[in-house]
Amino acid sequence: MVKIRIGIIGMGRMGITHFSIINTHQQAEIVSVADTSKTTLDILKKFIPSIQIFKDFHELIDISKPDAIIVCTPSNLHYPVIKYAFKNGVHVFCEKPFTANKLEAQELANLYSNSSLVNQVGFANRYSDVFNTAKSIMDQGVIGDIIRFKSEMFSCSITKKTNGDGWRDKKENGGGAVFEMASHLIDLNNYLFGISNGVTGTILNSVYSKNVEDIVSTTLLYKNGLSGTMYVNWSDESYRKPMIIIEAFGDKGKIIADFYGYKVFLKEENKELKLRKGWSVFTLPNVNKPVPFYVRGNEFTRQLYHFVDMIGNKDVKSVCDFNDASKTQVIIDDIFVDAEQNKI
Amino acid sequence: MEKIDKIVFGDNQFFGINHMSQEKAQQLSEQFFDIKNIYRVYDIAIENGIEAIMLNSNQRASEICEYFKQNKSKYGDLNWYPSIPYPHKYANMVAEKGIFPAISEVLFSNNTAGGVLGMLAKGGTALISKDTIKMMQMLVDVEVKMFKGLKINTIFLQNVITDLLLGYGIKEIFEEYCEYIRKKYHVSPGLITLNLPYCLEKLKEWNIKDVVVCSSINKIGFTMSPSTLAYEEVILNNDSSVYQLMAMSTLASGAIPPKEAYDYINEQNIQSVVFGASSEKHIAETIELIKL
Repeated sequence: MVKIRIGIIGMGRMGITHFSIINTHQQAEIVSVADTSKTTLDILKKFIPSIQIFKDFHELIDISKPDAIIVCTPSNLHYPVIKYAFKNGVHVFCEKPFTANKLEAQELANLYSNSSLVNQVGFANRYSDVFNTAKSIMDQGVIGDIIRFKSEMFSCSITKKTNGDGWRDKKENGGGAVFEMASHLIDLNNYLFGISNGVTGTILNSVYSKNVEDIVSTTLLYKNGLSGTMYVNWSDESYRKPMIIIEAFGDKGKIIADFYGYKVFLKEENKELKLRKGWSVFTLPNVNKPVPFYVRGNEFTRQLYHFVDMIGNKDVKSVCDFNDASKTQVIIDDIFVDAEQNKI
Repeated sequence: MEKIDKIVFGDNQFFGINHMSQEKAQQLSEQFFDIKNIYRVYDIAIENGIEAIMLNSNQRASEICEYFKQNKSKYGDLNWYPSIPYPHKYANMVAEKGIFPAISEVLFSNNTAGGVLGMLAKGGTALISKDTIKMMQMLVDVEVKMFKGLKINTIFLQNVITDLLLGYGIKEIFEEYCEYIRKKYHVSPGLITLNLPYCLEKLKEWNIKDVVVCSSINKIGFTMSPSTLAYEEVILNNDSSVYQLMAMSTLASGAIPPKEAYDYINEQNIQSVVFGASSEKHIAETIELIKL
């Protein structure tokens, strides 16, 4: 069996996780790693001597000649890395958020969609058991036509005053709650409800960060009449772990889904799906499907295995390609523009 | 290898950790905001026959350890099963600063610049694997410190860390961890994993023996990767004199009724169960149902 040769660029928190996951895939082989930390590279090389290490991503692509790369650098570097990968015919899995702005995102999406190269962005919630089950219920019209939705995301990522020096405190590096956290929720809303056509009423607040926002709220508008709200707070210490909560209201009922499971309220019984009139509750163990190797969450394994499977088999369809991610990027840009206009 | 206790009392319920719902987690976190309520549940558990406790080295654990040390005459010799580290402590730091500066901050909280990086750089690349092992040992010491003075049976590596490291497939790290736990603390090394078949396969391949392995084991396959079938096979064929197995998540976060859950567990080749509960009824019922 010829293995798919993979290079990882950026060994921060996500790079470390992706390495572990993809290293267990039978068809994948990690051949090289690039990072700016010499210590990280030296340690990896010492324990895994077969790996080639680089301080520069160009060299990783030129010398180790991977079939595919996993890009986990700060997001302002995604654009140059991916352009270089494209020139060299390399498949790309890129961490979220996709790029620093919509123009870069659209350019990369155009490049890759006109090629046969596999391209994916790490919006992992598209691989969540709960949200996929919720999507399937909504797509089957179980709660009828959806009129409004409410989406929220919380974490305790930033809980201390910052001095403005870290990458998380710089918008141009992909820092801030919009880029780092709300991008997840925007993408999930796109996935569940379709691409929104505009935003309104955006407010950005700082709690601790010096240069960027810690809280984001906005309303997403759709041409078909649907609308939904989004509230994201990454300085909320009442949440031990990150949490997403989606609530959709339709003319036949409603659904509430979060990382713990989902519940459906129906005006009339749905016999086909065995959902009764009133509330039906399903917890995570009811919907959870095991993955081949678990690290930090089913969705992380599923998305990376899917990436490798797409490279190995052209018939495997993409779930979150550059095109999808560039649509999320458009909304991110709109949010910043709208927030600027709402300042009084 | 020292035998592990058949029933171990866990701690998730005390720290607002619940996979059933956000409301339930919040309710638990309110109930146990006052640490006296935690001690009250321990008292109930011990009155009902519990002799062993698993406790994760999170922020509240050191206070709990201190309490048990100070009340030794009341509690006698309980067997402790620490699990280290509390991964969320590291998660944000790693995202913010990178892995080694984050570790450095934990080990040398007053000296963020030098610390680990200085230590690793000093030896140069020739010594880097030795220094990395030394750093791992220092991290273990930081986490285990609070349990000193308690009678420890097994020191477990928490599942986020075990599984992350398993993916890298580096034999030396596991070998050194197990060796260090044995030599320094004179107790059994333990690994918590959500990938039991993979973990046991690797341990055998690396010839690392006498390890306690704790994993989610339940009838419906919740957090059992890659599959229930693979679990049942490795459990059936496991030699418990080499790898003692401890089951956690036996009720799959409440998705399986206790009787049904333990009818399944009791049939498996498992040496121990760790469970958490906060009411006397559930504690007594679970102890009654576990028949290993």
